[in-house]
Amino acid sequence: MPRQTPVFIVCSPRAGVGKTLVARLLIEYFKTERQPVVGFDANPDNFAMADQLPADTAIASLLDVRGEMALFDQLVSADGTVKVVDLSAGLFDRFFAVAQDIGFVREARQSGVVPVALYLVDADPRSSQGYRVLRDRLRQMTLVPVVNTAIPGLRFRADNLPTAPGGEPPLDIPRLTPLVRGVIARPSFSVSGYMSGQADETTELFGWIRHMFVQFREIELRMLLANLSPSIDAELRRIVNGR
Amino acid sequence: MVEGRAWGHDPDTFGNMEGAMAKPSVILVGADKGGVGKTTVSRTLLDYFLAHEQPVRAFDTESPRGTLKRFHPDVTEVVDITSTADQMKIFDTLAAVDSQITVIDIRAGLLSVTLRALNDIGFLDAAKKQQLNFAVFHILGPSVSSLDEIAETSRFTNDAHYYLVKNFINNTTFFEWDPATYNNYFHKLKAAQEITIPKLNEMAAEQVELAGVPFVSFVANKLASGHPAAYSFVLRGYVRHWLGNVWAEFDRVNLLDAVEAQPKSAASKD
Repeated sequence: MPRQTPVFIVCSPRAGVGKTLVARLLIEYFKTERQPVVGFDANPDNFAMADQLPADTAIASLLDVRGEMALFDQLVSADGTVKVVDLSAGLFDRFFAVAQDIGFVREARQSGVVPVALYLVDADPRSSQGYRVLRDRLRQMTLVPVVNTAIPGLRFRADNLPTAPGGEPPLDIPRLTPLVRGVIARPSFSVSGYMSGQADETTELFGWIRHMFVQFREIELRMLLANLSPSIDAELRRIVNGR
Repeated sequence: MVEGRAWGHDPDTFGNMEGAMAKPSVILVGADKGGVGKTTVSRTLLDYFLAHEQPVRAFDTESPRGTLKRFHPDVTEVVDITSTADQMKIFDTLAAVDSQITVIDIRAGLLSVTLRALNDIGFLDAAKKQQLNFAVFHILGPSVSSLDEIAETSRFTNDAHYYLVKNFINNTTFFEWDPATYNNYFHKLKAAQEITIPKLNEMAAEQVELAGVPFVSFVANKLASGHPAAYSFVLRGYVRHWLGNVWAEFDRVNLLDAVEAQPKSAASKD
């Protein structure tokens, strides 16, 4: 079975909920795993991810069709390179409207690309509305809610998180002490460099990153399982019938 | 099939067609101004009928250039609609060929002329006697002058399925008609139906032009030869989305019923 190419779209219609942090950690995770990965920074006002990971990030724009081609034509390419899109709140509607118009998810699935939206939820009604829109309009896209417990005043309510059909369990970002947050926010700080070096495994920072990476691995495993389950089912049937 | 249908000379020979399996259908696509996207509409029609496995042939009257032929070379022939010889080539063969549907892309400025000629050779009478299905796609231009065309053509099209097509494909045209004037003309046409062709993204339209393939082939990422192409996925997506909307319009006006399309299996069996 050919290896699938994942495309992660880190998104929310709301600004300041931690999208760039998640996107950056995803890229760092795949770098640590030595998998080819490329990031797309779609933040027209502030290319924070491109600043932090200049070697791994391309600037994406959705200003015109040329920009859309530059982004989407790469996202549907089943070239084995993991793609991570850091999608700004301002481009949320535009990106998914284009995706729906051009049949992005269907074409991607057909060519062996698995689109996964990592959706940063918060307490604002626009957040739950955007989540429902994605769940209803792009049914074939894997939708993973992400709860950032560092967001002050996030009262997590059940109706903010209507479960997707075949729902993915939410991913959580544990709160960090301000000191450690400062370390991560430093442009010179490389997560993959830190994790593959002589890091002290007892620190808060190490535990936090490992917690995130374990969750990313779980998403990867679920994708793998979803891809394999038809052949596993067939194999089980064969064994049962063979007896 | 029935032999001897040179009906141009004697209207009664039309009776010969009645035993045929399906009535022939003739679709005129015309506009009295150039540059309103007439050939684009013809292309969507050919794609539509081919996708529904309907046997179709087309005549491109932009002799000698032939834009339609460039996109659909297999089913298209370039003719000069004003010459009697070419008129015979089209109309004397209606019941003889396997292609039950004939699409004729009428060169700009020739729609009224063609309708008059069809009247003279008895074609319109045949349509009136329901010996064949006749449809007119009248592509509207942006100015009021093209509305005058409706008044003129409507004299000949009482027995046709008449479609007024507002073509927004290149959006350079926006319609500046006074609604009262428009409705006045529109109601002169018995049972005319409106079709709206939505805008297609300029860059996508341009790439299909350059590729010189049917819209369906572009969507399927194929060259004219049938080999895989490398068109942009985004542009293919836009074309697929747009073509879907155009076809939805054809579905809405029951175009397949108007041409008495045969069920897919029956059509492909033949």
